[in-house]
Amino acid sequence: MGSDGELPEWASTPCIMGIDEAGRGPVLGPMVYGCLYCPISYKKTLSTLEFADSKTLKEEKREELFESLKTDATIGWAVDVIDPRVLSAKMLQKNKINLNEISHESAMGLVKRVLDMGYLLTEVYVDTVGDADKYRIKLTERFPSIKFVVAKKADSLYPVVSGASIVAKVTRDRALQNWNFDETSEDMHRNFGSGYPGDPNTKSWLEQHKHSVFGFPSLVRFSWGTCDSYFKGGVEVLWEADEADDDEGSSRKTSKRQSKLSNLGFTGMKRKSEDIESSGKGRCKFFQSRKLEQLSDF
Amino acid sequence: MNGENASSAETGTIDLNGVKSSSSTAVDLTDQIHQLPCCIKYTGPSPVSHYFKPKSTGVEVDGLSVKEAHFRGRKLQGTTFSLPDGYSGFVIGRKKAAKRKASDSNGGMTASWQTNAKFQNITLWNHDNLPSKEDAFLRAFHWFDVAKALHKPVTVDDMESASNPGATPTD
Repeated sequence: MGSDGELPEWASTPCIMGIDEAGRGPVLGPMVYGCLYCPISYKKTLSTLEFADSKTLKEEKREELFESLKTDATIGWAVDVIDPRVLSAKMLQKNKINLNEISHESAMGLVKRVLDMGYLLTEVYVDTVGDADKYRIKLTERFPSIKFVVAKKADSLYPVVSGASIVAKVTRDRALQNWNFDETSEDMHRNFGSGYPGDPNTKSWLEQHKHSVFGFPSLVRFSWGTCDSYFKGGVEVLWEADEADDDEGSSRKTSKRQSKLSNLGFTGMKRKSEDIESSGKGRCKFFQSRKLEQLSDF
Repeated sequence: MNGENASSAETGTIDLNGVKSSSSTAVDLTDQIHQLPCCIKYTGPSPVSHYFKPKSTGVEVDGLSVKEAHFRGRKLQGTTFSLPDGYSGFVIGRKKAAKRKASDSNGGMTASWQTNAKFQNITLWNHDNLPSKEDAFLRAFHWFDVAKALHKPVTVDDMESASNPGATPTD
């Protein structure tokens, strides 16, 4: 991704990098982390390039800026596109990973990737996710040789982060526009809207694409609380992973957005492990460990 | 499946041969049977092939080739394995029960079952974990060997080889 090929001469001079994300809030599509890097000496020029927080720019302007920065030999960029299936799976797996952790890992992955390519990164500017100080400490521990500046709204404060936000936003928009559905069900369309839960187009898309058994196409982030309301009356699905969760009590720090799909629309349901599998209860160990139950009545 | 005879008070019949005699009703569901690590509280038709798209990962564990699929946002890892030689899987259904509404007629206790479909393999799915030979479901098949050892009628050959352990088995 990004600038492939041979390393430019400036790679070995001290470089700055900006990191920003696009598509963190939407209920569907990938989340994209983007970065932009250049030699420190290019910092001044960078601020003349009209980069601004991607959200304040019109789509055509973003596209235009992205195309021009791609041709700028003194700028490098890279993206990490996190598939909605990966987001859902990580947030719903037995050891749940929350969105902040996923975001941190993605940002650090970009830093590592650019360092590994051979660029001498000395300063990295990051739009914060969660507590800025804690995030900065985490980053500094992982990459001691780099000075990290972690700030709220970094995308409007530092041109290098604004640039990164354009890279991320354009990549996210294109990924959504060109999304190939895994599902082959008929009547599927691409009027997703922005993907933000409040967007009327997104709402009607979700309404039209819900399925009582399968939930949604895998473009949707099942771990988003937004999905709840669409599942009233849907088929209940019980998971072992959630059982363990209940037993432990909800001691784990999970973001409020995260919610278990199986719970949706079914409040106060009691779950028994017998619902999920046979136990071999009361039989000799050979059968127990193989979960073989004697069934004489069915 | 083969193996145990239920010693229940009521007697029931399961017609596993019905398939052969009227082959038109026997649906072959080989490659279409999935064992999911969850309980889906629904019984009925569903557009599985449109939504559930297993893909092979190229990874092998214990000689089992690993597939990947997603269901309701969860990542599943699974493997397809053939049922042991001489065994088949059956999808059975009540014979006479007034179509579909078998649930409200608990009256007739003598159950009579017929085969609706047959299959020769199952795809077993785990949530998060890679499939392995240690999975309870796969280990359940150990019972076949145990059952065979316990229940297979002893033949004359068996007797001979047992009394003459040095002899090489004749196949």
